Amino acid sequence: MMTAFRLELVRGRMLVLWVGLVAMVYAGGITLFYPTILENAAQFEKLLEVYPKQLMAAFGIHGSLGDQGTFLNSYVFQFMWPLVAAILAILLATRVAADAESGFLDLPLSTRLPRLRYLASSIAGQVVAITFLGLMTIGAVMAVDLIIAPDFPTDRLILAGLHALLLGLAIAGVTTLLAVIFLDRGKAGGVAAGILILMYLLNVLAQLTPDIADVGRLSAFRYFDVRNLIDTGTYPLGDSLLYLAVAVAGWLLALWVFRRRDLAA
Amino acid sequence: MGTDAIEVIGLTKRYGKRRGVLDLDFGIGENEVFGFLGPNGAGKTTTIRVLLGFLRPTAGRAIVMGHDSWRDAAAAHVGVAYASADPAYLGSLTAGEQLDYMARLRDLPSGAWRPVAERLELDPTVQVRKLSRGNRQKVGVVQAFMGREPLLVMDEPTSGLDPLMQREFLTLVSEARADGRTVFLSSHNLPEVERACDRVGIIREGRLVDVSTVADLQASHWRSVSLVLTEPPSPGLFDLPNVRVMSASARDVHLEVQGDVNPLLRRLATLEVRDISIATLEIEDVFLGYYEAPAPVAREEAPR
Repeated sequence: MMTAFRLELVRGRMLVLWVGLVAMVYAGGITLFYPTILENAAQFEKLLEVYPKQLMAAFGIHGSLGDQGTFLNSYVFQFMWPLVAAILAILLATRVAADAESGFLDLPLSTRLPRLRYLASSIAGQVVAITFLGLMTIGAVMAVDLIIAPDFPTDRLILAGLHALLLGLAIAGVTTLLAVIFLDRGKAGGVAAGILILMYLLNVLAQLTPDIADVGRLSAFRYFDVRNLIDTGTYPLGDSLLYLAVAVAGWLLALWVFRRRDLAA
Repeated sequence: MGTDAIEVIGLTKRYGKRRGVLDLDFGIGENEVFGFLGPNGAGKTTTIRVLLGFLRPTAGRAIVMGHDSWRDAAAAHVGVAYASADPAYLGSLTAGEQLDYMARLRDLPSGAWRPVAERLELDPTVQVRKLSRGNRQKVGVVQAFMGREPLLVMDEPTSGLDPLMQREFLTLVSEARADGRTVFLSSHNLPEVERACDRVGIIREGRLVDVSTVADLQASHWRSVSLVLTEPPSPGLFDLPNVRVMSASARDVHLEVQGDVNPLLRRLATLEVRDISIATLEIEDVFLGYYEAPAPVAREEAPR
């Protein structure tokens, strides 16, 4: 199994590095602007007053952008993280389908390596890669935080990173399941991306339209808000556990399906 | 040849309503080279994928090295080396890196592939994705032969190889047999099968239509006999069992004879024959014979 896991790390290293660099540059770069936003918070608030409060809330902007929680939640966690985490998770989780399409899957599975261990190696690779992406993102914010003032609370940033990581893992878990069901990278990735886009729109619409507010609960993004965590230190344990449960359920079902399904040529 | 390395019992595989293979029964003994012949779509690859545990049989089962191919695939694979019809590659791995990866998965030392790669003149430093089809095929062949597994399963492994490399491949097969290994060789390269195999299974439209030794296969089919006689033959001269007159004009006669040629030779001994030629049918002709005939519903397996 270690051989397959090592290969997962080797083959994904450039992808993970590049996505990680993008996240790092963006997260670090935007954090550099925080002091400016803080200094001009009143003006920003005046500017944003033009827009309806519900619209701002729908895109994760609650309160003043000068608040640490609102700033990081809006610019790093709600805007950038779901995008880069979804891209990385989808690309990594659909790899088993790509291997099946190219015929490469036949090679390791014709050896003594059981199917379950092959997919488990892939899943372990996803966890390592998404964790690395989280570390690059939070690391960039923390590195810039050493330059700027006032300080962000390090422990809360780390906890926010953990919550973000779990969202990425949930996307990876569900996408892995889709990948082994379809064994078609385009279809699995397309369906996963489609679900995420629908969930995002659902979350926005649910916040804009009080009548369908409850439907927003079906969206994964409903549970992805770290503003309160950064501002008050209250960890969204229930939301994190929900993401973890989705991730684990997705992977376990994927292993179950992959063990039993035909691998046609 | 002792215990079966492969035993296929009533194996059927359907893809929904689409036919894969139907009711296959055959066995391959240890230290046997078995050719599996059929055109594209006949069911060769489906059979191999069932043997390797990639496909679950719809009915029946396959036993590979004593293990059920589906339920106990990983255990069966301990004794199996595989070369696919179209060797895949992984990202930017070089041939050497990919072969090392496969070697590690099979508990072989790093570089175990080098001797075979040198024989096949494979450059291990080139990325597999940049290799030509023929050279990619070499990666597959090297991968199959680099270990010591007792069973080699190969799906049209020489389809992209040049004639020199095909010859080297046949040498590798001979050496594998000499080492006591078993080879299951799927192919539509009939001369290759003729030269490499002890027995041949012919698959047509998902059904096994014959399993026979190469020699028996040829003997049971028609040979072409051309005669030049000194005098025109009398009517009914060649009314013999298993002999048919294809053409007869003056002194030139063209016959076809099946199996035992002795009755015909005895008849010819009573004539003045100016010239005679007997063409042993190429296995291609034997093979085509199965495809020209209506689809059979049953077959008998030749004793091993």
